Amino acid sequence: MRSLLLILAGLLLLAIGCRPVYEAPIPYDFSNKPGSGQFSPAIRRSMEGVYAVSGGGGPFGRQVALKWSYINDGADSVHALTILTGVDAGFFNLEINQTADSLSLTGFWRKLVNQGTGQAALSLLRKRRGQVVPYKGPALAGDTLMLRGTFDTGTSSPRQPLTLTYLRPLNPKPFEVIAHRGGGRTADLLGVSENTLAILQRAARFGATGVEIDVRYTKDSVPVLYHDNRLNQRLIQKNGLSGGISDYTYEQVQTSFRLLYGEQIPTLEQALRTIVDNTDLRFVWIDSKFTGSMVRVQTLQQRFAERARLRGRRLQIVIGLPGTEAVEAYRALPNKANTPILCELEPALARELGAAVWAPRWTLGPQTDEVKAMQAEGRRVFVWTLDDLLFLEKFSNQANLNGILSNYAPAVAYYHYTAQ
Amino acid sequence: MNRSGIYLLLGGLLLAFAAEAQTDSVERRPGIYFPQAPKPGQWRRSMGVTFTVAPPELTEELRISIPAADFNIQRGLGRHLYLVGRVQSQLVQSSGTIGIRYALPLSKRFFVSVGDDMNGWYGFLKIKNVFDSYAVGLQNYPNVSIGFRPASDLQYTLKAEAILDLYYRSAAGGLDVEQRGSSRNGYAFTFVLEQPYYHKRHVSVGIRAAYTRFNWQFWALYSTFDKRLFYPELLFNFIH
Repeated sequence: MRSLLLILAGLLLLAIGCRPVYEAPIPYDFSNKPGSGQFSPAIRRSMEGVYAVSGGGGPFGRQVALKWSYINDGADSVHALTILTGVDAGFFNLEINQTADSLSLTGFWRKLVNQGTGQAALSLLRKRRGQVVPYKGPALAGDTLMLRGTFDTGTSSPRQPLTLTYLRPLNPKPFEVIAHRGGGRTADLLGVSENTLAILQRAARFGATGVEIDVRYTKDSVPVLYHDNRLNQRLIQKNGLSGGISDYTYEQVQTSFRLLYGEQIPTLEQALRTIVDNTDLRFVWIDSKFTGSMVRVQTLQQRFAERARLRGRRLQIVIGLPGTEAVEAYRALPNKANTPILCELEPALARELGAAVWAPRWTLGPQTDEVKAMQAEGRRVFVWTLDDLLFLEKFSNQANLNGILSNYAPAVAYYHYTAQ
Repeated sequence: MNRSGIYLLLGGLLLAFAAEAQTDSVERRPGIYFPQAPKPGQWRRSMGVTFTVAPPELTEELRISIPAADFNIQRGLGRHLYLVGRVQSQLVQSSGTIGIRYALPLSKRFFVSVGDDMNGWYGFLKIKNVFDSYAVGLQNYPNVSIGFRPASDLQYTLKAEAILDLYYRSAAGGLDVEQRGSSRNGYAFTFVLEQPYYHKRHVSVGIRAAYTRFNWQFWALYSTFDKRLFYPELLFNFIH
């Protein structure tokens, strides 16, 4: 029997050692140059819409949605075009080629459900009376916008043809596309770690209009962004230390831990400052993973909501209450004014607490009557965390929600913007 | 059935026909995984438990190992042909498999079988404020097994199987989704040791290493990764 156990243990170790490792290195470095070159605000606005795909664009479906986003670096803005493909949570991120004579963009595409990625280069054209010519100024009546260029897989120079032809405007219905963990999971190989300043700056490029971030306290009660109960190699570079975030002071966290892509664990203050000062996001969901008093989080929520208001930003920051412990921490706040909350629990509790948002799990289904009742009372309703692409399409088309939280923001955005 | 399954079956059939010339005078021993048919009309049964470990890609920092009751039954149809059946259950999710095997001795020590199993599974979860969901599915497992019987009482089996998805349906509340058609889900290798245990009883102990995009035991996690994740499954059965 001992030999049997040894054989089985050996096989188990062998099998675990054979666990596949997946990588998806992004084959294009954004230059992040500020300015929009020849892409004036009017041209950028005119480009947004739903486009038909032709040429060799089979991997990207029959239609795509184009949406611009920007990062503000303090003095100027860096603009990026996102193409939401609707296939395998796919998207393109393209930056303005400021050295080109024509209106052209370069960048990469990526599919989040697998490791699909590659480079892409597109130019803006217009079709008038059957003739395709470079686009130079605002479109005239009868013009049809087109983007024509090439793409390829991996690090190959783009050679496969791709043509996008304007079909119709984006669905204008108000809706929040909320990216999980600041933009997406570390496991989705986005090139940056979840819950970091870097991913917050990329969230809009994934199609997000809002983000969910996970907040815990360090040993000296500094709120920081970190999801897991324990410090582990799923998120942290190996360093021999163990325990949870709350076992270490903020200084120890900064000096001893690096996230998988080398980033530092950010504070909630740094995260909210980045969102308010550098992004065009309009919704923040602070997920209360912490234990203890909520006062420090509330103070930051109110401070940055006011900062956004003074800057003319339309930004709502809510504190998420995922369980009874967070509810009790909220109830214990001495002053609840100007503290919008999101309740993940039963509708009656959401009502009793006066939640601005009710956020049930998607696995409960569309709950149509309850959603209608909540909306009639002035509350918004989001579901979480919906990544299943089949269900995403169904929820987008059939459930009358105000937003969806997902690791696959590009897919949520695609289904929303292409809806008719 | 798609290409990988066809290759697996053809490879197994070639091996099986190559072995047809071998005598059938070799001893029959109790075994569920070992590629040797029961005598025509004879039943074989086993019951036990399996433990499947969830991939960390799905459960992240949590380490989940799901136990399941495991029942196997086999019936000899001919000298080499036999039916196999299997039920795995965790109450809220269960699967039933029925299949057929053609097994031949290559020599007194080496044995081979080729087969095809059809698996149907069902799961439901209704938990207040968490789940109101169910899912059903149909999978096909073309398989080939090689058995080695050393001089001792031990029997070693290495089984390779393709995992093909044929049908999937799931509902959350009033919304349901459906996928039809065959798609390559993954593959699995099983290594099992079968030996006498007590009072002429025998036992099967082994591990199944599955590399699949979807595993029915974890349907409720709604995995969205289009990549093959590793699902190790420990097997332990008493053979009757």
